Parts: sequence; structure tokens; C-alpha cells
Amino acid sequence: MALCQNRLQEERKQWRRDHPFGFYAKPQRNAQGVLDLKVWECGIPGKDKTLWEGGLFKLNVIFPDEYPTKPPKCTRLLRPSRCEADSTGKFVPPLFHPNVYPSGTVCLSILNEEEGWKPAITIKQILLGVQDLLDDPNPDSPAQADAYNLFKKDRAAYENKIKRIVRDNPAP
Amino acid sequence: MKRDQSNHQSLGSPTNRKVKEARILMVGAGGIGCELLKNLVLTGFGEIHVVDLDTIDLSNLNRQFLFRHEHIKKSKALVAKEAAHAFNPSVKLVAHHANIKDPEFNVSWFKGFTMVFNALDNLEARRHVNKMCLAADVPLIESGTTGFNGQVQVIKKGVTACYDCAPKETPKSFPVCTIRSTPSQPIHCIVWGKSYLLSEILGASEDESAEMDHSEDSENAKEIEKLRQESQALKKIREAMGTPSFPQLLFDKVYKDDITRLRSMEEMWKTRRPPEPLNYDGIIEKAVDVETSKDKILKDGQRVWNLEENVIVFKDSLERLSKRMAEMQSSANGHSAEPVITFDKDDDDTLDFVTASANLRSIVFGIETKSRFDIKQMAGNIIPAIATTNAIVAGLCVLQSFKVLRGDFSSTKEIFLSPFAPQRLLSSDKYRPPRADCPVCSVAQAQLLIDISRATLNDLVENFLRLELGYGEEIVVNHGDALLYDVEETDNLTKKLSDLGIKGDSFLTIIDEDDVNPRVNLVLNVQESTIPDDSPVKGLDFPPPHNADEPASPIPRRKKAIPQTNGHSTLENQPSAQSTKVPATNGNTSTLISSGSKRSVAEIEDPEAPNKKQKIQSNGASKDETIVLDDTVEHAIIIDDD
Repeated sequence: MALCQNRLQEERKQWRRDHPFGFYAKPQRNAQGVLDLKVWECGIPGKDKTLWEGGLFKLNVIFPDEYPTKPPKCTRLLRPSRCEADSTGKFVPPLFHPNVYPSGTVCLSILNEEEGWKPAITIKQILLGVQDLLDDPNPDSPAQADAYNLFKKDRAAYENKIKRIVRDNPAP
Repeated sequence: MKRDQSNHQSLGSPTNRKVKEARILMVGAGGIGCELLKNLVLTGFGEIHVVDLDTIDLSNLNRQFLFRHEHIKKSKALVAKEAAHAFNPSVKLVAHHANIKDPEFNVSWFKGFTMVFNALDNLEARRHVNKMCLAADVPLIESGTTGFNGQVQVIKKGVTACYDCAPKETPKSFPVCTIRSTPSQPIHCIVWGKSYLLSEILGASEDESAEMDHSEDSENAKEIEKLRQESQALKKIREAMGTPSFPQLLFDKVYKDDITRLRSMEEMWKTRRPPEPLNYDGIIEKAVDVETSKDKILKDGQRVWNLEENVIVFKDSLERLSKRMAEMQSSANGHSAEPVITFDKDDDDTLDFVTASANLRSIVFGIETKSRFDIKQMAGNIIPAIATTNAIVAGLCVLQSFKVLRGDFSSTKEIFLSPFAPQRLLSSDKYRPPRADCPVCSVAQAQLLIDISRATLNDLVENFLRLELGYGEEIVVNHGDALLYDVEETDNLTKKLSDLGIKGDSFLTIIDEDDVNPRVNLVLNVQESTIPDDSPVKGLDFPPPHNADEPASPIPRRKKAIPQTNGHSTLENQPSAQSTKVPATNGNTSTLISSGSKRSVAEIEDPEAPNKKQKIQSNGASKDETIVLDDTVEHAIIIDDD
């Protein structure tokens, strides 16, 4: 509806004018070649001086009709965008991270309607929040057993694995 | 005595004549609609169109009194028309068994009506009719009921608030973590049973499996293997549907294996009670006696079932559903679409399954279990509908409609029916003025003629918007959720509008992003047309120039430079920095916050002024009712609903 569209338009304008270095965020192109304001393709760089430094992680941000009353959903590309489907036809794998569901959905308090979500939170704040989460997982709210258990039980193996993931997802 | 004698006396002959000449659209022929149609027909409105896409259901009959048992499964609009026509054969009734959002009901169709009544039950259709009535500039009487409460509101473009001027509550949804991993209330388990488990087993599997936790992972071999096993396990379970082992396979997966896996994340259960996996064989052993009295359990939907009873119902309902799937598959033989069964509160098989599976999950997580009766209400989102409330609200709608017919919008009211509030049964407010920054009604509206065979986006953006209307560089063209053009998105300029999905009756929104003095948003209703001369894009009925200083653009400027927001957001409660940190200070945020200083709305004529002649007489019988003797209308007595 109109409120959602106006807000997304404003988010795009603000992002276009100013956004943090290394990030990108833009509406996804639909089959007709037109940008869909409800689905954004975003890229989050790993923070400097952390394990994640040098990586760039793709994320889809999907906005419901009730946005900004309700939060958007952040997920590792559930469905491939057009170009990716053309080249490989495969889904980008979900991220190995204690707070990312095996389906790719990010579990973050500010994205939860019952917890930290506020309509004033901007896309920039969301992406910065996910960037913080990369190196600072929240063990109280695990979303996948594999990453969580490795993180808790074998930190060295966990860190090795993260390094490998960063190598596989290099920043340009 | 003439049929409209009383109307003639009470409304006065000019208004009564307007009633007889009126063309009315009523959207929805359900609870409010049946009552309203009866009122409209008996009042003698000249021509009434009824639109409803729904068919009659058994559960409608207690209050939708135009319908009888023999009408079940028939169109509401058609049956309502037939039934109401008998009340007053001189009224012309037209029924449309269709969705009001269908393209045939376009802006010009709406323009053909004197006024529109909404008798709807959902936000989406209400918003649509609100938008169409604003675009067509036709008055709308909006009403709704929930249980004992109801309200009525008159909407007139430029005079009153529109439906979307006030933020609406959105239905509650639950975060995925709560449903999948950490339920704490019965409703969480019910949503899991209804929206997750049921659709996983009986829904369209292929596409949705991306949403489920079984996606492939190429990151290491061990994981691939584990995930492969997991998705194989699920496949095996689905394949086993119809076999005797199916209930146990599913049961072990969701109440034992998944729970054990969840429990392994120990940290999660430090502050919560850890879930306890269930043992199918153990329970079934104890449930031998229970199984023999299965039919008795199924009849007893008011009592809360125990663990064994829930397992028996789980098994039994799953067998019934499997059998139905098999029948659907064999009858659909050769057709590509895989049959699916979705939740329906009136479908006993799905209700039994959701009841049992939700209760079993509740037991796993130590949550209170519920009876099937309660779960039916919770899972089916049943809001009690009260016939009397609908009747009162429908009556109030008609009383407001007389003011609309007289063009007397200044005395229209917003009325609330709230029997359990401490105030009066009916409380009414003067209509609200339009909200200055309402995203729906604060916009400028106009029609756009395009020659669909050749018009390109560039024709619209450069020739029409920039050259003809004087827009600057920073503009955006949107078509619903689709962004067609902005300063960074110029790929589509050379494409034809028809290739971008634009056709007759599309709505385009033009947003002015100029920093200095932006125009209000402009909504263009597209009309297809053949335009012989050079320009394939032409404007129609543009609003007149706002003031003489701006001859270049007929679109008014925004009153303030702050962009639209939802208005109720504040920065007061910054999310506390726990696991996630939202930057405490952020330059961009402040621009997204409404300043709170609403612009003073253009003064509409003083509603008190023209009624100087009114003599108000107090009615001795009741202080709450006033009879207004209004001698501006010849000999009319108006009983106000105030």
C-alpha cells in the first residue's frame, strides 16, 4: 500500500545519497526488467579487524505490505535473482552462522516485531546491525545447530570455517 | 398511502427526491450488507448495485437474514438481490458476483455512482474502495463491526479524513524463531501445526521447501550428508503417506528427532524449560484402551484431550487426510498440479490434525493444551459476529447517507457503537479533517491519456512530466511496488509503457524528490486512448494551479519538506544495545521522523455557520435524543443520530 511504498522510496533516496562504505542495497529487478521495491538485494562487508574482514555477504531484504509497521525479513537469497538463475540456477547457500536459520533467514532482535523492531529503523541500521551480528553472534538465540554447536564447543574449528567462508565470498 | 409518505415527511421532498434518483454501490453482501441492503431498498434508493465475490456458507445464516438454507454455495450478491427486491419492486437492483478489485470496476465505473457503501470484512478491499472513491471523487460511507462494537464514517475527498488517514492495526504475526524453536503460548503451537506442519505434509512441497530447514549447503561434506539425510528423511516420510508406518514416521520426526536436535543447543534452555521429546511406541502402548473409544473422543471437542487421546487423534486424522490425498491424486491422474489440502476450520480432518499436533507440541514444550473448540476459534481467527450490531451499524449508515445526498458534508459524523464503554452506547464525533501527510488522500489526482501502442516511459518522464508540468531532475515514477524511473534507474526510459506492465486503469505515482520545494505526490490514473498528434501522453482534468505564483505547475507543493512517514514512529526508545546494536546517533534517522507539526488543513466551510436557523427542541423523554426542527428544508423533521 501507499505508506509502505512511500517509505521504501524514501529509504532508497536516503541510501542513494549516503550509505556506509562497502555496502550496497538496491531493489531487485523483476521479470519485466522493472525494479521491485519490496525485495532488495543487499551486500554486507565483513568488519575490518574481525574474522569476517575481506568478505562480502549477500542478503535479500523482503518488505511486507505492512512495512514499516512490521519489520522486513532478511534472508540469504531464498530464490535466485534473474541473472543468477540464468548462470547457475542454484540458490546461494545459507550462511554458516549461529543466528542464521538453515533456510537463510537472519534472526536478529531488531527484525523481530515482538522485540526490537521500530518503524523508525532504517535499512542502513538494519544492514549495520547484521554486520555487527556477523562477528558478535548472540548465543541466547541460536538458529542453526551446526554453527551454534561448533561456535560453543570448538572455537578454533569455527574460526577456520569462517575464514574459509570469507575466502569464498570475497569483497571485490 | 404512498409508500414514501413517511420519507417525504421526515426527509423533506428535495432529499426524498434525491433518494429516489440516487445510484448506489454497495460493496459486500454479508453481515452488514444484508441489513444495509434491506434498509436501502426500503428507503427507496433508486438504483442499487451489489458487489460480492463470496458464496453463502452455513455459518452465515444466523445473521445474514436474506439467505436461507437452500441458498448455500450460491452467490451472495445474486441471492441478496433476489431476496431484497421483493421488499420494494420499484427499486432497480443489479448484482455482480465478482471481486471489487476486478478491472471492470474502474474509476469511470465508480464515477457513475452517487455514493458508495462499504460493507466489507477486510482491510485490503476497504483500502481499494477508499482509493477508487478518492480517485473518482465519489462519497464513501465506510462501516465495520467486531462483536458488539461498530463504527461508521463518511469519507469525502478533500473534506473528511479518508480510510487510510488513521494507521490501522495489522493482524498479529509471530516471528519465525518463536514458532520454530521457542514457543511459549498455545497459539504458537497452533500456528506451527496449521501453517508449518500441515502445509509441509499436505501442501505444495517443492517450492516451499526453500522456506524450510532442509536446504542444501555446499560448505562441507559432513553437513551436506547430514542435510541430505534430513531431506531424504522428510521425503521418505511424505512418500510413506498412506502406509501404516506414516503416522509414526512423522511423529518421530517432529516430536522426537527435531526436539532432540533442538535440545542439543543447551544455551537456549538456560532460561527456558527444555523441550521433552515424546516416545511414540510408549504412548501407543498405553493408549490401547483409548483407541477403542476413538469416536467418543472425536465427538468431545469441548474437553481438553490428554496425551494419549491427542496421539490417537493425530494418528486417526492423519490417516483420514492421507486417504483423501490418495483419492485426490488418483482422480487428478494425468494432471500436472499436485493436489493439496489446506487448513479450513470447517474441515474436521484438518481441524482434528491441527488440534492434536498443536497439543502434542504444547506437551513437548510444557505449554497448556486446549480443546478442539478453542483451537477452532484460534486457528480460524473467528471473531464473533452479532446480528444486532450489524443492524445498528447499517441503520447509522443510511442516516449519514441523507446528509451526503444533501451535500451537507459538514454535519456528517463519525459514529462509534461501543456497548461496554463507560460512555453512551453510541458516541459520535464531528468528522475528522484529512491528514495533511496521508499517503493516500493528500496526493494530487489526475487522469493520464496514453497511446498504449507507442508511448514510452521517456514520453511520460521527459515530455509530459518535465516539459509540460515543469518537474525537475529528481523525480520518481512508481507503478505500485514497481519503480519505473528515478535518477539512478534510467534503463527503462526507451521501453514502451505497455512493455513495463502499464495498461488502462493502472495507477502511476509521481514523487517529487526536489529538496527545496517539492510538489505533493501525483497519482495518475491511466486511460488508454488513440492520440493522433505528436505526443502520445496527455493529461486530463489536472487540478487548477494552487496559486498564481506557480503558473508553471498545476501540482501543489508540499507544505513541509519532511517526507511522509507512518507518523507514529519515534526515536524515544532506541533499541537497547544487546545482541544487536543500532547506532545511537544516526543522521538519516531524524529525517524519517514526522515532525509532529501538522499543517493546518485548508479551512473547510464552518460547519456551524449555515445552521443558524435551526431551532433545537429538547425531547423530554430522553436527554440523549434531540429532535432537530430544521426549517431550511421544507417541513422536514430530522432525527439526528447524534
